[in-house]
Amino acid sequence: MLKVNVDGSRCQGHTICAMVAPESFELDEIDGHSTPVNAEVPPEHADEVREAVRSCPEQAISIIEE
Amino acid sequence: MTTETTASVDSGSDAATDDDARKEKRYSFERHSPEYRENFLDTTREMQEQCPVAWSDTYGGHWVAASSDAVFELARCPYVSNDHDVRGQRKGYKGINVPTAERASGVRGGILEMDEPEHSFFRSILNPYLSPAAVKRWVPFIDKVVHACIDEKIESGRIDFVDDLANIVPAVLTLAMLGIPVEKWTIYNEPVHAAVYTPPDSPDAPRVAELHRQLGIDLITNLFEIRANPRPGLINAVANAAIDGGAPDDMELLGILSLVIGGGFDTTTALTAHALEWLSDNTDQRARLSVERDTLINPATEEFLRYFTPAAGDGRTIAEDCEVADTEFREGERLWLSWAMANRDPSLFPEPNTIDMERKGNRHFSSGLGVHRCIGSNVARTVFKRMLVAVFDRMPDYVCDPEGTVHYDSIGVIQGMRHLPATFAPGPRTHKPLADTLVELQQMVEDERLAEPLSIARKRESDAAPSD
Repeated sequence: MLKVNVDGSRCQGHTICAMVAPESFELDEIDGHSTPVNAEVPPEHADEVREAVRSCPEQAISIIEE
Repeated sequence: MTTETTASVDSGSDAATDDDARKEKRYSFERHSPEYRENFLDTTREMQEQCPVAWSDTYGGHWVAASSDAVFELARCPYVSNDHDVRGQRKGYKGINVPTAERASGVRGGILEMDEPEHSFFRSILNPYLSPAAVKRWVPFIDKVVHACIDEKIESGRIDFVDDLANIVPAVLTLAMLGIPVEKWTIYNEPVHAAVYTPPDSPDAPRVAELHRQLGIDLITNLFEIRANPRPGLINAVANAAIDGGAPDDMELLGILSLVIGGGFDTTTALTAHALEWLSDNTDQRARLSVERDTLINPATEEFLRYFTPAAGDGRTIAEDCEVADTEFREGERLWLSWAMANRDPSLFPEPNTIDMERKGNRHFSSGLGVHRCIGSNVARTVFKRMLVAVFDRMPDYVCDPEGTVHYDSIGVIQGMRHLPATFAPGPRTHKPLADTLVELQQMVEDERLAEPLSIARKRESDAAPSD
């Protein structure tokens, strides 16, 4: 199981994660900052989430493979 | 830190030796020169391979960060300041322009030239107008302007993508978001673009300065009007701001609003013009992007942002002695963060000088990094995408004319274009003329209260919804 976390102190609201993995990240309506939809990533979205990690300009997303 | 012992003997020659050692890696960096534009790829490769942080004696002396790692670290470093202390009340730092622009020396450049906590205070006021959800409400408005602009030219088979489309749409939208009547877009449009591409020694400079003065007068008139009779928009957001219990100086507010205008106009124009020019030269990619737009438009937009980097970089000032990216910096030294060069770093972007519309891991630097990330990035992307798909639909066979294409001489600030003429198979008008459309759009802004911040818009929606 893949677990994902967005470090709120690093995220600046670039919104690229939600473009790459729209099912897995939601953006705050007011400032566009990202949070995971679920900490546990369903297997069918795992590749997108890994791609979001690589695409984050602030390197704010971390994943753990359990 | 060993610097305390080595610097303890107070002698000029020791200080000079220390400086020589720290500034061992040197590069004469003149990004305003036409040569820099012509040799950009070589300069980038040389600096990344040999430096990648170098001291340059140009523009009063400053550091230049050229690699993705160095730019990443420095843009997010707590010992680096954006402050522009125009009145000499703090440490005299010079803000984000290297060298300091003459025109900009008297007014602080809005939140981009503020440090915390002031920066976050104003940014949080502006955010609810510019978030992805807030921008989404403007899409029908944007589409109307885009198609009205295209209609002005569609029967003739000729358009200048800069003058007739990419200059107009961002200007009209930005004014509407500010709360300024959209018919005034011409007062704002020319001085904002011309100020970027007109060098201070140009014979045209006095005319541009006069246009800028008129813009300033209109902006402050709107600020006063809105303070007296509030109407929704970004001006209203700052007009009554109170920080530390007091009202900020009006010049400070004009700086914030001018940043929104400057940031909203020329960068989006530059991105659109460059992408349209490239797609004219690469018609197979254009056809593919049009057909596969649902999946390809997002990664392609990020790739165009990376490759063309509309805003080339940002200046900073070192606020405390520190060692970052294998370089010892001293308090007060100036620094240039090159988003443009970081975006071509092969260690982060395989084949960095090729456009790959499907590029993966595209953590580009074009919106900047850290707390000062471009606050209008969602607006810019949305406007760009709406213009692009409208061109695909209305003039799918367009061909740009290299003879009439004019790039900015200097890409030191904005990597933009003055003209991008094109021809295409003429088609029929589908919308009202631009002048009529602007009247209609002004009504739309007022009826739908589009310029309200999302927080208030959502509250109004929930108040209007039937409760159970």
